[in-house]
Amino acid sequence: MFTTAVRQMRVAFSTVLGRPFSVPVVQGLVRDALATLEEFGTPGDDVGQLVDGPYADPTMRRELQTRALQRTARHLTTGAPYYRDRFAAAGVDPAGLTPETLLRLPVMTRAELVSRQRDLLCGRPYLSTRSTGSTGAPVEVWLSRQEITLWPALIALSLVLRGELTPDDHVQLSISSRATAAIQEDVELCGLVGAGCSVVGLVPPDEALDRLCESATVLNTYPSYLGLLVTAARRRGLGPDDFALHTVNAGGEVLSAALVAAAEATFGARINDAYGATEVLPVGGRFCTHRHLHPDPNMGYAETIDLETGAPAEPGRLGTLVVTPYHPYRECMPVLRYDTRDLVRAPAADEPPCELAATPGMSHILGKARDLLTTASGPVTPRDVVEVMDALPGVRWPVRFAAEEAGGRVRVTVPDDHTGGLSTGEIAGRFADHGIDAQVVVVPMGQEDARRLRPLRCDLLEQTFTRPVPTLVREFV
Amino acid sequence: MSRTAFLVLVTFCFALAAPLAAAAYFRWVRAARPAVGVFGTGDVFVMMGFVVVLPFAYLALPGWGLPTVLGLVFAGGLSVGYERVVTHRWLRRGLILGLLGADLAAWAAWRAGAAPLWFTAVNSVVVLLIAVSAANLSAQGGLRLRHAAWFTLGLAVYDLTFATAIPITQKLAAAIQGYPFAPSAGLRVGDLGAVIGMGDLLAYALFGVTAYKAYGRTGLRVALVVVAAFGALAPALSPLVIEAVSGHRPSLIPAQVFFGPGAFLGYLLLRRLGPERRMAEILGNPVNRPADRRARWLGPPAPAVAPAASVAPARPAEVRGPVRLS
Repeated sequence: MFTTAVRQMRVAFSTVLGRPFSVPVVQGLVRDALATLEEFGTPGDDVGQLVDGPYADPTMRRELQTRALQRTARHLTTGAPYYRDRFAAAGVDPAGLTPETLLRLPVMTRAELVSRQRDLLCGRPYLSTRSTGSTGAPVEVWLSRQEITLWPALIALSLVLRGELTPDDHVQLSISSRATAAIQEDVELCGLVGAGCSVVGLVPPDEALDRLCESATVLNTYPSYLGLLVTAARRRGLGPDDFALHTVNAGGEVLSAALVAAAEATFGARINDAYGATEVLPVGGRFCTHRHLHPDPNMGYAETIDLETGAPAEPGRLGTLVVTPYHPYRECMPVLRYDTRDLVRAPAADEPPCELAATPGMSHILGKARDLLTTASGPVTPRDVVEVMDALPGVRWPVRFAAEEAGGRVRVTVPDDHTGGLSTGEIAGRFADHGIDAQVVVVPMGQEDARRLRPLRCDLLEQTFTRPVPTLVREFV
Repeated sequence: MSRTAFLVLVTFCFALAAPLAAAAYFRWVRAARPAVGVFGTGDVFVMMGFVVVLPFAYLALPGWGLPTVLGLVFAGGLSVGYERVVTHRWLRRGLILGLLGADLAAWAAWRAGAAPLWFTAVNSVVVLLIAVSAANLSAQGGLRLRHAAWFTLGLAVYDLTFATAIPITQKLAAAIQGYPFAPSAGLRVGDLGAVIGMGDLLAYALFGVTAYKAYGRTGLRVALVVVAAFGALAPALSPLVIEAVSGHRPSLIPAQVFFGPGAFLGYLLLRRLGPERRMAEILGNPVNRPADRRARWLGPPAPAVAPAASVAPARPAEVRGPVRLS
């Protein structure tokens, strides 16, 4: 109890004052939290304050955000001449940085991150992690030893206190082996919590299902791979009684409501939409029951920037999610105002409050900005299209299609075996039901061509010796 | 009534009142606890550190400083310990002030020539209340019988050392004589007097409440027997034995020298009943024990003849949230 209080005070000082975190202290708090659960079954009543952090308090947030931004700017400008020049060019004093003056700095693009990698280093690199390259050019982010040990400890503490991961759990990681940081984080945090961890990778779905049936209680994967698993499980006649799963965390792609419902029915588990991006690690986000995204305000500063004006998006307007992870959470290769190009809608003025209303929120992730379609009746986001296509009766997930703007309408090209047996008119009718004026074209094509229509993360399937892979790939793609 | 009979009776009553009141508090009152944190081995060492250091700090204070500090400690201890008993803040503060005021008034009356009975009685109530709440804050904070047993064993070593080799206990006892808020309980009636230290009462309350928490009524019964035998009778009767052997009757008996080993034996006896209950079981929350965990994780043990199909492990009922993905 006394040692826990001392540890809590040290972590609180680091959070509020921005002093470097002591990893052993945070790891000690994880052990304290586990001991608390073992003794009491639940954390104490004030756990919400501890988990949400001081930034959840609206009266303190502004002051803390300003200090965190100034601290981050100081770290960036002293660590990398690139950032010094950036501040100088924008005429912004790093020491006096505020959420308002931050807007005068240009957003950082993916191209800059890829091309100026060395210039961004502010610390000693230890481990590199790469995005999956779904946009064509993978981003490589270097992390320090401190970052790669601190983040799992902080996440483990949060998960344990929220009751989302316990020593009883066995986590199966069905994500790409290139997501080094995510795998390292998950393995490390499972170790801290005492949960089991199986790094299975993106193996053929039947093999992953066999592993799931054994003992996994938590599955971390991508929505497209989850679609493969649901389809395979249904083909094999597997249902909730065949799995011990209680939670599936799916992130990195648009997760549709239809797939969530199908996965819940198949696995008997709660399906969580998870948000995180390699470039803005360790800032993540939680989704409330209203399906709003609430980025963690303790670890970084999130903005919704209007796609056209570059200014903060007005309520209800579409924007791109721009994130600045705070120092000392991010130290080795930090980013400043990184434009994730993830589409979100600024919360409407009359948005009903949700259970996470204490932390600023925005709409669900609506897809990538490059895939936004501008039609005569208004913008159509990738999520709008995915929600309709994934909900077609009888389809096999993941559904393949291509959507483009043609003559002020949405033109959706669908492979003939991804229609769920519906006619073009029926599919167009489904779009119309969602207020989308769509022209649907069904094209006979092979599976390789269908894959090229809509490349997904599940296409990164790894070969194994366990099963005749080519057969399975053909069957499920 | 002889001095020895009075000593035995008073010591017996106070020694048993502490664990009984602590068990009653444990049964009826749920103390507040922080979001994270369990009383554990580290805290026992911290407590021992306080036990060793505080007497020196007390003795370093000027004459008026010690009762002032003790009064503040008493007020703080009562305020925290009875937060859930008297939930109305101002009523609680009023009652505490009233109680401490009565202690002070009774002391002043005694100094003015009144019988010492009232001061010793009121002060004993204050000290007993503090011992009961402090023991419960520890026990309900996760302190186990195992910790309490080791703590009392440590106190035995401390008591022996500081009553014989380094006679600090006698100095402290002398320092608090004649002041209000004395950290001791007891009664003084005419020429008869019996005093039991607050630390001793705390040890009895702690052992009693952790035994009750760990093993229910059986635990409490064993604790009461141990407290009665090693915490009351042995220290109260030992002056007779010492007097008979050495011809000298000691004015101060380090009670923990008897109680520490007795409590540890009591713990060893109770331990045979099985693992200690945890607060989760008492609160009706889900209970996780490492042994269950290992079994659940790996699924049920393999049958003698392996079945054709694998057996699906039990499905936990809790629903949980996200783990980070890139």
